Amino acid sequence: MIVLQNVTKVYPSGTVALDDVSLQIDEREFVFLVGPSGAGKTTLIRLINRDARPDSGSVFVENTDVTRLPRREVPKLRRRVGMIYQDYKLLPTFTVRQNVEFVLKSTGEFNGRTARWVDEALDLVQLSDRADHHPHELSGGEQQRTAIARAIVRRCPILVADEPTGNLDHATSWDTIQLLVRINALGATVLMATHNREIVNTMRRRVIEIANGKVVRDELGGGYDG
Amino acid sequence: MTAKLNVLRYVLGAAMLGLWRNRTMTLGAVVTTAVMLVTLAAFLAINDTLNEMVTALGRKSNLIAYVRDDARPSRVTEIMQDLEQRPGVGEVLFVTKEDALRIFRERFFDQRDVIDILQANPLPASVELRMDDPAVLPGLADELRGMTEVFESVAVPLDVVERLVSISNVSRAAGTAMIIALTAVALFVIANTIRIAVYARRQEIEIMKLVGATDWFVRGPFIIEGAFIGLVGATLAAVALVVIYLQLAPTITRIISFLPIATDVSFVRNLAVFIVLVGLVVGSIGSYVSVRRYLAV
Repeated sequence: MIVLQNVTKVYPSGTVALDDVSLQIDEREFVFLVGPSGAGKTTLIRLINRDARPDSGSVFVENTDVTRLPRREVPKLRRRVGMIYQDYKLLPTFTVRQNVEFVLKSTGEFNGRTARWVDEALDLVQLSDRADHHPHELSGGEQQRTAIARAIVRRCPILVADEPTGNLDHATSWDTIQLLVRINALGATVLMATHNREIVNTMRRRVIEIANGKVVRDELGGGYDG
Repeated sequence: MTAKLNVLRYVLGAAMLGLWRNRTMTLGAVVTTAVMLVTLAAFLAINDTLNEMVTALGRKSNLIAYVRDDARPSRVTEIMQDLEQRPGVGEVLFVTKEDALRIFRERFFDQRDVIDILQANPLPASVELRMDDPAVLPGLADELRGMTEVFESVAVPLDVVERLVSISNVSRAAGTAMIIALTAVALFVIANTIRIAVYARRQEIEIMKLVGATDWFVRGPFIIEGAFIGLVGATLAAVALVVIYLQLAPTITRIISFLPIATDVSFVRNLAVFIVLVGLVVGSIGSYVSVRRYLAV
């Protein structure tokens, strides 16, 4: 589903974000990406939805090398990969429903059939009763759930989350994780970068640890510290 | 198909919303564009009028080359044929010695005795040119003066023509410079307006890109905003142009009725259409430049 082959990414400042990284994530897997800040987690995530390109190596998403994707094809890739961020990235002037609909509208896919997808996504993240609220009227957890609804509304086969619980308290973080687990159970491949030791240690899923731009551990059922 | 229609509807809606949110800037850009285009129209009208005047005066003014009595007739014919091919030359006439004498007699009727006293006809034959473009007159005159074996002398009513030609040249140069400067200003103002619009919506743009919106979906609204500003500014300019024309044309025609001032309806209509097109193009290019620069998708 997601394959990195000898990927190296060096920023113009000279910082080596990823150094000859190879890994494979299969369909329907749930993978934690851990490592200290600046280890290269966010860079790795940005390569997957072609928000960045590596200096060398290949990144395959659903058997397509996205590093060689022509510009025109990038939107198609991004429609297959739902993204979730620490800072939610919601539009403040839009309601919850509008934020979710926006994904479909921005690609011209919004119609009677897909309008139902919006209801289903809001239902899944339990925000149906808050659909007409604006982000500033919501708690952090609710905002993140809105972002998750937006990421899954198009029924993307891949969900990538970059520190989704970074701004959330303990209980809300667990709610969010449970939600991602459910979405994974429904068939999506989930890759989640996190610093949340407790969650990783409790879930016992596959853990990929990055340090100084290299994969230093790839362990099934692993803990945060190996 | 419906997807494309949906996108189109969104793009247009987003463009109108963007214009409304930035209405102060929008208004400023529209007014700047309108002023630029009215000035442009004024310069084009003035240039056109001056050109018409130069041409009209040129038609009235002749070049007269007096032919030597001993010039070979075949050589004169040859020169006349050559002159007819020259650009800017309208008509080439040959006035024989006899014609010249007749004309002289008609014109100076009371003094025909003076002529009768003479045994021979003292008047030379001449080649007369009626010009389409008086700008080529001076060069032509010098050339003919050089043919001393054929022509005795060459007379050109130069002063008026020369002055008009130089005024027309200066006005054309000044007009061109003004047009370039004004277009640059309008382009800059529209590009800047769009830049601010891009900045105001950078969050929306970032999210659009992350969820897989196409380039056209992201850029479209901005391009349309620029085109709209150009179009509205141009329409205002065109309306102003027509109003000014309706107010001024009768007065101008009355005051200087002897000159063909460019005040006919078709000229003004063409100018208005041209202005609207310029506005549209400048608006689209201005926003496209801005979007290219500030909206790396």
